[in-house]
Amino acid sequence: MIGLEHYLFLGALLFVCGVVCMATKRNAIGVLIGVELVLNGANVNLVAFARYNPAFEIEGMIFSLLVIVLAAAEAAVALAIVLNFYNNHSTVDVDSAEELRG
Amino acid sequence: MGTLHDHPFLWFVIATLLPLASFTYLLLVGGVRNFARARRNHPAADAVYQGLGGDQPGRRAAYVGMAAIFLAFVCSAMGYVTYFVEHHRVEHESERIAEENEKLDHDLKSLRRKGRHFKGAEAKENSAKIAEIRKQIKENQQTVHESEERLEHRWSGSLLWARVWSSSAADPGSGNTLRIGARIDHLSGLMFVMVTFVATLIHLFSSGYMSDELDKQVEDHQVHGEDGGHFRRRGRFGRFFLFLSLFCFSMLNLLLADNLFQIFVSWELVGICSFLLIGFYYERTSATNAANKAFITNRVGDAGFIIGLLIVWTYLGTFNFEEMFSRLRAPVDMHHGHVHAHGGHHKQAVTDLTHRFVKADATKDIEGGKEMTMKAANEAGQYVVIMPRPMGGDHEDEGHQHYNAGELVDAKDRPKVGEHGYMPYWMLVVAGLGIFLGCVGKSAQFPLQVWLPDAMEGPTPVSALIHAATMVAAGVYLVGRCYPLFAPETLLTIAYTGGITLFVAATIAIVATDIKKVLAYSTVSQLGYMMLGLGVGGWAAGLFHLVTHAFFKALLFLGSGSVIYGCHHEQDMRKMGGLFPKMKITAISMLMGVFAIAGIPLFSGWYSKDAVLANAFGFIREHPQHVLLFVLPLITAGITTFYMFRMWFMTFAGRPKDHHVYDHAHETPWMMTTPLVLLAILSVGVAWGNPPWDASNSFMETQILHHAQPESVEVDFHDEHHAAHAGHDFAGGLALVMVVIGFSFAASTYWFGFLDPNESKEMFSGVHRFLSHKWYFDEAYSALFVRPAMAAAGWARWFDTNVVDGLVNGVGKSGLAVSRVHGFFDRVIVDGLVNVVAKVWYAIGSWLRVFQTGYIRSYVLFLGMAAAGIWLLLWVLTMAPAAQP
Repeated sequence: MIGLEHYLFLGALLFVCGVVCMATKRNAIGVLIGVELVLNGANVNLVAFARYNPAFEIEGMIFSLLVIVLAAAEAAVALAIVLNFYNNHSTVDVDSAEELRG
Repeated sequence: MGTLHDHPFLWFVIATLLPLASFTYLLLVGGVRNFARARRNHPAADAVYQGLGGDQPGRRAAYVGMAAIFLAFVCSAMGYVTYFVEHHRVEHESERIAEENEKLDHDLKSLRRKGRHFKGAEAKENSAKIAEIRKQIKENQQTVHESEERLEHRWSGSLLWARVWSSSAADPGSGNTLRIGARIDHLSGLMFVMVTFVATLIHLFSSGYMSDELDKQVEDHQVHGEDGGHFRRRGRFGRFFLFLSLFCFSMLNLLLADNLFQIFVSWELVGICSFLLIGFYYERTSATNAANKAFITNRVGDAGFIIGLLIVWTYLGTFNFEEMFSRLRAPVDMHHGHVHAHGGHHKQAVTDLTHRFVKADATKDIEGGKEMTMKAANEAGQYVVIMPRPMGGDHEDEGHQHYNAGELVDAKDRPKVGEHGYMPYWMLVVAGLGIFLGCVGKSAQFPLQVWLPDAMEGPTPVSALIHAATMVAAGVYLVGRCYPLFAPETLLTIAYTGGITLFVAATIAIVATDIKKVLAYSTVSQLGYMMLGLGVGGWAAGLFHLVTHAFFKALLFLGSGSVIYGCHHEQDMRKMGGLFPKMKITAISMLMGVFAIAGIPLFSGWYSKDAVLANAFGFIREHPQHVLLFVLPLITAGITTFYMFRMWFMTFAGRPKDHHVYDHAHETPWMMTTPLVLLAILSVGVAWGNPPWDASNSFMETQILHHAQPESVEVDFHDEHHAAHAGHDFAGGLALVMVVIGFSFAASTYWFGFLDPNESKEMFSGVHRFLSHKWYFDEAYSALFVRPAMAAAGWARWFDTNVVDGLVNGVGKSGLAVSRVHGFFDRVIVDGLVNVVAKVWYAIGSWLRVFQTGYIRSYVLFLGMAAAGIWLLLWVLTMAPAAQP
């Protein structure tokens, strides 16, 4: 029987995968994918809680919807930044984006 | 015009103010011009500057100055002629009335004699006649008095200048006011005409002589610039006339003044003008030194003058000449002693004190003063009684002037109106000596004569002005003005000072080789004659010599200026010679001047020098112990002739000694020769009388100066004048012998060449050295005064730099040390604390900086590690209490 724990494990796995992806990728798109993974890991958790905890039923779904919207907005903004960055530097390597360093 | 008609002395005031107006105008224009010049980048200022002549000095200054002084001459000549006529009319009138009164007096006496025998009605008629005659006499005296008063009123006036302290109601006439005033008499009027005339000619001459200054660029051959070349500057034509105008104004104001204080102010103005003009070429060290020497030497004299002024002010409370004299000299009809009646006949023990000092001894102290016993005219006394100040403003208090037989008098320390005062006799002498010391400085008398020869550094027309009409004349004029103030001791000092001066200066002039220096020493010598003349009682003689000397000395100086100009600024007579054919006008007119100063008969100097010598002779006849006072001027008359002819022969006669000078010599332009000719004419004829060959009958002396002579002179020197008159021909004859001797020496040495000047120079080399060092006066003063003063200045400077400055520096240094400690505390402790705080935070920041790498993965790593860390912490915290039980 698949229970709440399994979903939480899946969410944690996705989260860790996302974090590792963010930490290891130098490609801006890769980092963005990592972020998406982290967000979706969190979403899996929220949806799981909404399914298994009646007190959290509505809130869980709304939170996850919020996260999806947020992820979409974030993706739009981030991709715009990446495109601009590419236009200027002909690369999407985040390590080369160091001009704002103090 | 009405005012001028009522108060004709205003002509002289106008004459005085004209040069002042010219001075003010030139000063303003020059000021505007210089102001615009400094800003000539601006077009408006440049237009003003170019409008005023630009870089090129114009002749306008000369025209303005000359016009002013010439108009002043016209005004003073008109004024003086008016005065002369009026004064003579009044004098004639009073003489006539005096004769009439004498006749009436005679009638009166005979009537009285007859009256003794009359009786009854006859006696009554007789006494009525006597009363009528008495009334007539009194009326006549009143008329004379009134006309004299009117004359005085027309020819003097004054304005209140400053009230020194407010006079109380009890003593309204306390006289502590300073007034600006003018008073004209024969002396000041004559001097006005002389000064303005000579100054006009000098202005004319200067406009030619100073024409070098008209150039845009003047090269001064006596000054070397840093690069070794000659110094170049802009021409200063205007400035010269600016100073000349101020000089003339100062001198005229000095002549105009009716009080000592105004004279003192003008006196100082004259001094500053001479300073400015002697130092006209102020780039030359010698010129500035000479200007300083003149100014400082005059300060010595002026110190004496101020002492005199203070004494006069303290005791007499006034500076007005008339008031001073009326307080010091006894009024008319003052007598000493009683008419004793002894057994029927009168014993006359009365001496006339009129116009004399009233000497007295203190008998006892009274409230606020002393009771005095008055002495007879010829007795000595410790005090001089000061006559009461007249009541109120008008002189209508004739009543108090009758002192007959009043032997005792109450003299007060602070006399009020109508009270007698007193001053110690020695104070009177000191006051006279002090004023005379001022004159010694101005008129370059021994021992302050050293400045005048050095004053030759100024342009030659200035020398002429200083020597003839202004500066040195001021001293002699002042002695003449203050004459009634001088006690016999003072006058004797004046006479001896003059005697020493005239001899010393004449001997130095023998060896001088600079043409201007010869003239300078001759001026000093001639001033000595004037002082001597004044000192021995020849009031008119001394001032007579002043006037004649002014003409011939102006002539000689302008002549020498003409020679110097014609020889392209060569002044050494040893390089001249044989110039006669080249400059005939100059040579002949200068010869007239030489004749005049030497005292050749019929030339002006003859009359005045004879008058001085006659007075000296009269004086030694009465006082044989002072025989030097006649011998010195007599010998000097010969010396004068010698050195003046030596100068003329060396310059104009003989063969040319320096062909460079000779070849370039030329006669000077008309504006320089015209004054020479005019002055030459006056040098000959200014002193003529009727007939001209009578030396003692010069018009100027007998008709002009004798009328200006203070009454006290005739009283004090009655016997001397008598002897002088008797010995006039004798003294003149002796002088003529000396002149002949002097001339023959000069002619045989420098004209015919019988004697070789170099040989005699070798023979008397010691004397020559002594004389060419000017009796070592400069060296002596340098050792006695200049060097000690320099040493004292050095000490003062040492004291100043080391002690005064040391104190100040010490205070500064200790302040510096304190502030250093303070600064250390501030820097290390206060700032240190603040800095340590800042440094700590800076270090923390620097350390934290390491973690902000800018790499996303490192941030994620930190995030992950932090999350892991927090999780671990939570785990430990939750697990540890669980594991414990």
